[in-house]
Amino acid sequence: MNGLTSIGAPLTRVDGPAKARGLEKYAADHYPPGLLWAGVKRSDHAHAMIKKIDIFSAGTVPGVAAVLTSKNIKGSNRVGLPEMDQPILADDKVRFRGDPVALVLAEDKSALALALEQISVEYQVLNAVFDPEQAMEQDAPVLHENRGADKGKNILISGTLKRGNITEALEQCDALVEGEFHLPRQEHAYLETEAGVARLTGDNILEITVSTQTPYRDRTELAHALGLPADKIRVIAPYLGGGFGGKDGITVQGLLGLAALHSGGRPVKMWTTREESFICSPKRHPARIRYRLGCKNGTLHAMTCRIIMDTGAYASLGGPVLAMAMEHAAGVYRIPHVLVEGYSVYTNNPVSGAFRGFGACQVLAGLEQTVDMLAVKGGLDALEFRLKNAVNRGDTTGCGVHMSNSTGIIPCLKTVQQHPFWVNRDKWVSEAPAFKRRGVGIAAGMQGTGYGPVVPDIANAKIKLLPEGRFRIYSGVSDMGQGNNSTNVHIAGEVLCQEPDAFELLQPDTFRTLPSGSSSASRTTFTFGNALKEACILLKERILARACNLALGVYKEDLLLIPGKVLHLPTGREIPLALIASAMAEDERVCVSTWTAPVARYPDSVNPEIRAAGFPHRVFSFACHLVRLEIDELTGEIAVCDYLACTDGGRVLNPQAYEQQIQGGVVQGMGYALWEDFKVAEGGETLTRNLATYILPTAADVPNIISLPVETEEETGPFGMKGIGEIVINLPFPAIANAVAMGLGRRIFQGPLNLEHLQEALQGSEKEAPQ
Amino acid sequence: MKITFYLNNVKQEIETQPDRRVVDILREDLGLTGTKEGCGSGECGACTILADGVSKLSCLMLAAQLENRRILTIEGLASGEELHPLQKAFVEKGAIQCGFCTPGMIMAAADLLQRNPAPDRKDIRTALSGNLCRCTGYQKIIDAVESAAETMRNKA
Amino acid sequence: MKNVILPNNREELWKTWETFPEAVPMAGGTDLLVGLRENKRKARTIIGLEKIRELCQVSLQDGEILIGAMVTHQQLLDTPAVAAHLPGLHGAAAVVGSPAVRHMGTIGGNICSASPAGDTLPPLYTLGARLELLNPAGSRVVPLHEFILGPGRTALHQREILSRVRIRIPAPGTRSYYFKVGQRKALAISIASMAALLQLAPDRSVMEARFAWGSVGPTVMRFPELEKTLTGRTFSPDLLNELGKAAAARVAPISDIRGHANYRRILVANLPLRLSAALAQEGVTKRDE
Ligand SMILES: Cc1cc2nc3c(=O)[nH]c(=O)nc-3n(C[C@H](O)[C@H](O)[C@H](O)COP(=O)(O)OP(=O)(O)OC[C@H]3O[C@@H](n4cnc5c(N)ncnc54)[C@H](O)[C@@H]3O)c2cc1C
Ligand code: FES
Ligand code: FES
Repeated sequence: MNGLTSIGAPLTRVDGPAKARGLEKYAADHYPPGLLWAGVKRSDHAHAMIKKIDIFSAGTVPGVAAVLTSKNIKGSNRVGLPEMDQPILADDKVRFRGDPVALVLAEDKSALALALEQISVEYQVLNAVFDPEQAMEQDAPVLHENRGADKGKNILISGTLKRGNITEALEQCDALVEGEFHLPRQEHAYLETEAGVARLTGDNILEITVSTQTPYRDRTELAHALGLPADKIRVIAPYLGGGFGGKDGITVQGLLGLAALHSGGRPVKMWTTREESFICSPKRHPARIRYRLGCKNGTLHAMTCRIIMDTGAYASLGGPVLAMAMEHAAGVYRIPHVLVEGYSVYTNNPVSGAFRGFGACQVLAGLEQTVDMLAVKGGLDALEFRLKNAVNRGDTTGCGVHMSNSTGIIPCLKTVQQHPFWVNRDKWVSEAPAFKRRGVGIAAGMQGTGYGPVVPDIANAKIKLLPEGRFRIYSGVSDMGQGNNSTNVHIAGEVLCQEPDAFELLQPDTFRTLPSGSSSASRTTFTFGNALKEACILLKERILARACNLALGVYKEDLLLIPGKVLHLPTGREIPLALIASAMAEDERVCVSTWTAPVARYPDSVNPEIRAAGFPHRVFSFACHLVRLEIDELTGEIAVCDYLACTDGGRVLNPQAYEQQIQGGVVQGMGYALWEDFKVAEGGETLTRNLATYILPTAADVPNIISLPVETEEETGPFGMKGIGEIVINLPFPAIANAVAMGLGRRIFQGPLNLEHLQEALQGSEKEAPQ
Repeated sequence: MKITFYLNNVKQEIETQPDRRVVDILREDLGLTGTKEGCGSGECGACTILADGVSKLSCLMLAAQLENRRILTIEGLASGEELHPLQKAFVEKGAIQCGFCTPGMIMAAADLLQRNPAPDRKDIRTALSGNLCRCTGYQKIIDAVESAAETMRNKA
Repeated sequence: MKNVILPNNREELWKTWETFPEAVPMAGGTDLLVGLRENKRKARTIIGLEKIRELCQVSLQDGEILIGAMVTHQQLLDTPAVAAHLPGLHGAAAVVGSPAVRHMGTIGGNICSASPAGDTLPPLYTLGARLELLNPAGSRVVPLHEFILGPGRTALHQREILSRVRIRIPAPGTRSYYFKVGQRKALAISIASMAALLQLAPDRSVMEARFAWGSVGPTVMRFPELEKTLTGRTFSPDLLNELGKAAAARVAPISDIRGHANYRRILVANLPLRLSAALAQEGVTKRDE
């Protein structure tokens, strides 16, 4: 054993070589022989009744195999969980510009394009609403009829969280600040746009190979929407070309399924163009968040927070995102008196849904700026102030969330406090070159792991000893690029004491792997890893027991499982795993284990809907970030000079994989803070239609990221780990905003902090010449 | 139209329409799906290939432009089982996450190392600035290119 | 399906064009093919110019640098004469798109796209570039500022191509610069840009100064009357500030997805000050003090 699979060692990715050679087959890379291309006609109205869809001439285009509308759908024609409100193809009405109206199957892409142009739809245009606050008004146009009248017509979900006596507490504060933050809509912009292939097999199984974070949930939703028994649907999820939440749920699966049911048995392929992906994929919820925060003698005392999220035309995961936002609204602080109100509202805008950070990202962007504002107002040191008010294990946050598990925010804060970037900040700022201003900013925060108290967070792992003495891991959770497959090998390798190449990985396949939930919510390794670890322990025991039977008269305690064999310590005799495998029945060579994440059962201070949507969590990751940046006084351009991310993600299983998450997440968060602004015009039209106008950071725009892990031991996580996939994206926005506020001497409340939003601040800034 | 060109050092004769995009020919007709498409409009670099040794975007190249050219795609970079030093470094340095940007990124890096065998980190950032990666934050990609450059210098 | 034809020389070019009168010329295709994809352009037949050798060369002749229309941005970067004599143009080529775009995109394509944001245009304006146009009947030479008529509009006739860009080599000691502000550091279309060509006397008085701003009007903006007022005065940040303010008062930029009109105006005013930083860095302002 060369130690490569030991927990804590930097195991390189098992998927690396195939990906580096260009040989890995993503969903987009499947071109089954005889395929038909599927494409969608989308609505160009934001809100309209469909009067008539004329598909006749499209059907006559040479090379067109089928033109389908909602009439061809046998099931409920609704997808989405928990709220099933989104049609695969619009039936009575369209609710945003881009809603799919008809589906075309054609021999090639040119015939497809031609046919799509030929479809004409007659609409009766309805009044539309694009502003979430207007959408809550009584006379606003209604998107979804037949929803509970008590909720307010367009309110998907709302919540209130109360602790202490907020009215009195606000009076008692000796310093109080207030701010309303407008957070932009963020596009996932994974490099692989939505893609998949589907076919109906000889025995009438609908088989879909698709880029998805949620193969098992997809199956359930498809069964409902297409009117098929779930066991007649097989969803296969190869490696994804990125997900980040954007493939957390149905994207093209419904359309692909429908297509395959009408293709005369031929395989169908769909792959959205970048422009189409931008229109149809869910975004990070744009949010308006108003904070009031007050302290007494340097101790946080009262907070109010009002959150309005624009969930767009359909619910997607708007409910859980709001619940998460409300849960994280007080961040890592103890605050006795709190009022949080939240609304997730339907509008005729593009759909918002899951995105790495999942609501926590938005509130922390607001809260952590408010904390800085309060520190300035109270004349307090921004870091010292945070330290003084941060939670320890056993404490309760302002939102009433108990820190029952590992809680490493204070060590994170202290690590940053001692770093030269913080210690020498004044000097560094004062040394700004001509025409430049400098700022240093920090932010602290946390992120809950898993689904919360109501939806069970379960994983089922399966591992098999193969006849040749190798192992197959049946992964039930998609690998969207975060590397959980490699971590599975790492965990199994550690328990079974095997080299990485002893393992073969089976990607999620609803016919072969076991249901294990989504690749999301910082739970992938946490939940599946626990199940897998158990399954491996079972298998190890079984292998050793069988070895005892084979080598008559030995004791299990004297046997050691080592790479490829079992070693009998007293005699030095070795039994190859292949031999042991041959003595086991197939069923016996398989071990399965299930694991359910612990939940918080204590009574909380929110309404039941918000609890059902996932409030509160039990296990949290923590972080404190620091940024040093330079603002060009002449142009407003911001250069991020240095970035420090200090993270409590429990034990580090694999330093390389850990850094990958940190570096990638920070840069995605920088994008959110500085460049990314998915713009939708009044009228619902997307303005940032492609990668030329939606600005992602390039290699030239970002610095190296310094990652400093603070290792706590999380007793519920496999080998003490916690998820770090999301916590990392929550803090670049507020850290950068705090640094910019320091540099400019004024705060910008409208995100992102791009040139457009900086220009006003710039106008006021005076220029000094060099020399 | 009939087009003759060299693909990964092997002569190819294909019959295709002159206006098809090179990325489609590679992926759909020739089964080389290592070359990815992320935007179709020059903005992401996922489709980067080398044409006569120079990095080009195969989503903005038409079939007719292939005539007589030497095309190298990610599939042609390794020699047999032996990974190219860039590929090896990408794996070892952790430069690959979802991996969808990887082929284009490696081809862009190959172009750089031909022009400049000893780039510094800033040179590498500039050279890869046309290749978007949404997963890695670029840092480990820069590490990988730096390390591959060193390996290749030591070999030469 | 579109026809795509790649003639090997002028003769084949004109013959092809005669057969397909509506054909559209293509250089590197980085602009044209994106336009076609977005249905902003139409073309039934494309004539690729990449095989016509004479269009792909840079040469020096009688105090002029002659740049073939098919010379790519990367070729400009790799040509020592361009780096030595035309640093402004060199700097502009260096910030076009991305490396692969620079390997494909050409100076001719940049000019003929006639985008107000085209990066090579402001330096070419300050250099007083002239364009050689080729048609079946012969050739003609047109100054760049007369060639570009508006956004996407040029003085090209039917069946005419741009063949060469002619630039008189500036007097020794002339400095030239290009400053670009985009939404990010690479793959960025300029929100505003400025090229400067500057000749200073040993006492730092301005002998000649030319400035051209990109992306702040329908075409590149130059203000010769403002430039004249600088002649003879001592180069200083105040002077640049004055120039910037005066220029900002003369432009009428538009707002678009990349930037507001207001912001663009600020940039017009502020970009000249980049010169003072650049000169300070080169030691010019310091040395002379
Ligand atoms: C991702 C991306 C980023 C970009 N970034 C920038 C940038 O930062 N700055 C910038 O300035 N541009 C940028 N561009 C635009 C474009 O790449 C450049 O303008 C480039 O110089 C165009 O050259 P080309 O050879 O590709 O032109 P083509 O696309 O081949 O042609 C452009 C137009 O000019 C005509 N034409 C070309 N050559 C001739 C000729 N010799 N005679 C007559 N007509 C001709 C064509 O018919 C066409 O109408 C970018 C493009 C992309 C795709
Ligand atoms: S697919 Fe060619 S650059 Fe994006
Ligand atoms: S690794 Fe996923 S885009 Fe680069």
